[in-house]
Amino acid sequence: MTTPLLQVSDLHVEFDTYGGTVKAVRGVDFSIEAGRTLAIVGESGCGKSVTVQAMMGLIPMPPGRITRGEARLRGENILGVSSLGGREVRGAEIGMIFQDPMSSLNPTMSIGDQIAEPLIVHRGYSQAQARARAVALLDMVRIPEASRRARQYPFEFSGGMLQRAMIAMAISCKPTLLIADEPTTALDVTIQAQILDLLRDLQNETGMALILITHDLGVVARMADEVAVMYAGRIVEYGSVEDVFYRSSHPYTVGLKAAMPSNDPERQHELRPIEGSPPDLFSPPVGCAYAARCPHSMQICRQQPAGLFGVGEAHLARCWLQHPASPHRPAGLTLGGHGHE
Amino acid sequence: MWQYTLKRIFQGIITIWFIATATFVAMHSVPGDPLSSERATTPAIRANLEERYGLNKPILEQYVLYIGSFLKGDFGISFTQRNRQVNDIIREHFPVSATLGILAVTFAALGGVLFGALTALYRNRLPDTIIMFLVILGISVPSFVFAALGQLLLVNINNLLGFSLLPVAGWGTVGHMLIPALVLGMSTMAYVTRLMRSSMLEIIHSDYIRTAKAKGLPAARIFTRHELRNAILPVVTVLGPAIATITTGGFVVELVFAIPGLGRFFVQAVQQLDYTVIMGTTVFYGAFLVTMVILVDLLYGWIDPRVRVQ
Repeated sequence: MTTPLLQVSDLHVEFDTYGGTVKAVRGVDFSIEAGRTLAIVGESGCGKSVTVQAMMGLIPMPPGRITRGEARLRGENILGVSSLGGREVRGAEIGMIFQDPMSSLNPTMSIGDQIAEPLIVHRGYSQAQARARAVALLDMVRIPEASRRARQYPFEFSGGMLQRAMIAMAISCKPTLLIADEPTTALDVTIQAQILDLLRDLQNETGMALILITHDLGVVARMADEVAVMYAGRIVEYGSVEDVFYRSSHPYTVGLKAAMPSNDPERQHELRPIEGSPPDLFSPPVGCAYAARCPHSMQICRQQPAGLFGVGEAHLARCWLQHPASPHRPAGLTLGGHGHE
Repeated sequence: MWQYTLKRIFQGIITIWFIATATFVAMHSVPGDPLSSERATTPAIRANLEERYGLNKPILEQYVLYIGSFLKGDFGISFTQRNRQVNDIIREHFPVSATLGILAVTFAALGGVLFGALTALYRNRLPDTIIMFLVILGISVPSFVFAALGQLLLVNINNLLGFSLLPVAGWGTVGHMLIPALVLGMSTMAYVTRLMRSSMLEIIHSDYIRTAKAKGLPAARIFTRHELRNAILPVVTVLGPAIATITTGGFVVELVFAIPGLGRFFVQAVQQLDYTVIMGTTVFYGAFLVTMVILVDLLYGWIDPRVRVQ
């Protein structure tokens, strides 16, 4: 097997707070190939943003701490490293866009200058070259009248346009990987679709890989090749988008799907949330973190953490139900090839 | 932008007119007049003098005369100082006060921004603790204490060295200006430090600084291009009023360091009810402050693009 573009293994991140130490990420592994899209899904506080921010060195330390694990870009460790063979990791190898474009751009700097900045810093462009390139990039993210717009400031842009400008900024140095941390959460639905289309088109043009962090399963279905479902600081299910959606193998994934609102009143007229709330990450449970909310939980679920079991080819679930000796066979849950018919 | 500037200038003129009127009314409400000194004057002499200075005219007419001469740029002749034009007093002594004041504000702004940024970057560590302790001192100790202590310190240093490192009092060279300006700007510097610290702390944790980090910018560039410019906005806002308080409040410091500033004349004039000098200095100071505030507003627009278009 060739080295993947990005390989994250056994990543642990903790935060010191007045209340104690929060174990926000507790052993995360995933990898992504060039040109592919990985969606990391999960509810608020499950550690999905912390995972990518740790990779990018964006976690304030202290109070944050990466206690274990590594992230390798083309085989080379990038945790705590700012450049690989003279090429900066942040902003050049990996671009990143954030959730709230309104507050993620500097209010006192023109859009064009902000897009030009990485080019000047990482590529040694002159001021004039970088400005010209910034206009071209704005054009590329489909902002009309790019040269006039480049001279404007963030408060003169709408939310959707700001997110386009953010994307232009993130891809200015032609990164091999773009991380989008909930890129459409703050935008209204029609704009969301435009931004997602734009991301997909840019990916086709440049061949970059995309890590998409979201809690919107609709976005996942539309964009992702692979999906990692996170819960309480761990990946609980990992697989292709078809596997995770149509052959869901972790009760949490099933719960997430059921909680998704439908617009068909015949089929559903009220929201079906997952009962209970996520565990306290100051002292995570000994066993499976989802056991307390899981409709199928067994004795062992509360006693021992589940390992990752193979369900199908490149489809993994962290659930005791997937153990070959599991006595339960709940309906609506795909079980791996371990002897059941 | 031009429209905004013109509007501000117009507002400024109204403000100055208001200051002139209020001062005129207040001044004439105080019992006595420039002629009521200790020396007894006969009613005949008094009437003559009143006639000569126009004090026997109806108050409204006097007011119109004053405003009229202000518009011509003439503040009149002092009542108490023989043969001295108010314009001359201002022309001779205001540059001294202004130099001292501007130097003090510069110290306060530069020092405050520097120390404020430093405390924010070293938050809850030793430099922060030390500077914040000094800030509390700077805010709570009045300027005449600093002035006296500064002068005493200077005397001791000069004695120790055996030669005069910096002059202890007087006016004339840059050496004369440094310590008084520092003393005068002390409380403002302390205030700006505090303001800068809180505004930096807010900005360090903002989303756009995270973006700047994700862009892989070097820390120095993030500090100068992204943090400083945004953190400095609230400081610029207080700078206008700060110039006001410092330039007009320099009287005590000017007295301690024997600096021939305008402050002394201002206070004397009020004590002696020297109508023309009171009016002249007050209106002049008013105009100066209004100008400074307008300049600061325009500076603010230059730093923050959001203010420019409105």
